Amino acid sequence: MIEEGFLVGEALVGEEPEVAHIDLIIGEKRGVMGQAFANSLAQPRQGHTPILAVVRPNVPVKPATLIVPKVTIRNLEGAERLFGPAQSAIAKAVADAVEEDIIPKEKVEEIAIIVSVFIHPRGKDYQRIYRYNYGATKLAIRRAMERFPGIDTVLEEKDKAAHAMIGFRINNLKKPPYLEVAFDIPDWRRVEGVIRALPRSDAIIIEAGTPLIKRYGVEVVQKIHQLRPETIVLADLKTLDTGNLEARMAGDATADVIGFSGLAPLKTMEKFIEECKKVGALSLMDTLNVADPIEVLKSLKVKPDIVELHRAIDVEESEEAQWGNIQEIKRICNNKVLVAVAGGIRVDKVKEALKSGADILVVGRAITAAKDVTGAARAFLHEMGVEEVDQFRIMTDY
Amino acid sequence: MINLSGIDREGQESVFHKKLKVKLKKPGNEGRIEFLKDYLDYLIRKNKVVPPDFPTFVREIMGLDDRSGFIHIRIWHQDSELVEFAKDKGYEYRIDHYD
Repeated sequence: MIEEGFLVGEALVGEEPEVAHIDLIIGEKRGVMGQAFANSLAQPRQGHTPILAVVRPNVPVKPATLIVPKVTIRNLEGAERLFGPAQSAIAKAVADAVEEDIIPKEKVEEIAIIVSVFIHPRGKDYQRIYRYNYGATKLAIRRAMERFPGIDTVLEEKDKAAHAMIGFRINNLKKPPYLEVAFDIPDWRRVEGVIRALPRSDAIIIEAGTPLIKRYGVEVVQKIHQLRPETIVLADLKTLDTGNLEARMAGDATADVIGFSGLAPLKTMEKFIEECKKVGALSLMDTLNVADPIEVLKSLKVKPDIVELHRAIDVEESEEAQWGNIQEIKRICNNKVLVAVAGGIRVDKVKEALKSGADILVVGRAITAAKDVTGAARAFLHEMGVEEVDQFRIMTDY
Repeated sequence: MINLSGIDREGQESVFHKKLKVKLKKPGNEGRIEFLKDYLDYLIRKNKVVPPDFPTFVREIMGLDDRSGFIHIRIWHQDSELVEFAKDKGYEYRIDHYD
């Protein structure tokens, strides 16, 4: 029945402080599951004594179910919560799972279950503890038997999920287009004000620009993350030498994307990209003043995650933006690269930039120096047609 | 849709800055030093990252004019961390807008 050795199920049900969090494994008694069951029962640990789930005193449930408390039981009150409502709820859930054919009735003597149960020490309401643990156990059993979640669900959800405890999701730039708001203002309090005025959107990236970093150091990234923990922050270092050292410094300062100059020696760029991979950040190659970005990309043994086509602030008035070679850049990087365009992007240029294949639009003073920062950023987002991740999903799917 | 033409020209300033006017708890330099100590205490106790402009901020606070017991600090948002700090530490304050 269970060829994999054992099945794993998990469920979180209810509200704090009685919230029930169940982790369980179901498997054949003859395999590793039976060994784990016997070892756990025979070797109790202080504060984490395993107990058999019983439907009433002297009637253990089938399949045999061992309950292991996650939270150390320190007093009689804690023991009562576990041995009372939680234990009873788990036994009832297991029995009901058999009655409802979630667990085949003819297999109940062949399999065993270990349930790891969390009960918060501040949980006082026995009604809630019972009902939450009943629901969570039955859900976890069903999920284990159905091999939930499938790997496709995991891959889909990893980019959507905001963890219940940390409250934000880590964006990994998988759903372009994005609006990168570049802060070149070397005045922290003004930067703070503009960041606070930016709309909260999954599509916004905050760039700590080179002048800002030169003024305050790369630690400014941490302060930005304090204001916007859910937002991708780019440290635009424009590194020309000591690639791995500078990438590590920015990674340590919690930068999500770290930028180097495409004018740097190849070795520097490759070390930079490798170091970004080590610290879990994305690397960005800035093409400012690079005569032939395509040739540079071809020469690199490892490719950056983002290529930024950059027209300098100093020449915005005199030079037109050139976005003609975006498709070629993507082809050289096996279509595993995002292309950002920077330099004088305004709302009326958004559609043209996106049509050229740009994934990230870098906008500076059109937002940061606007009288209405919020409105200016929203105007760009609207023109880009971005939709929030999961904005329209009712979060009871899982 | 708002019209953005001209907004991002070189040198054009945003006009949404504000003044945070905070009354010091003691007059003179002692009041400023206590203000800075309180600010650090607030940052540490609230587990906040020390603002990157802190060295400049110290110089600024020590050099500001005392205007009837108030110092005037330039901020750019009414929910600035400095406002949170003033509230948290029981400073008398007001915010003047220049929008």
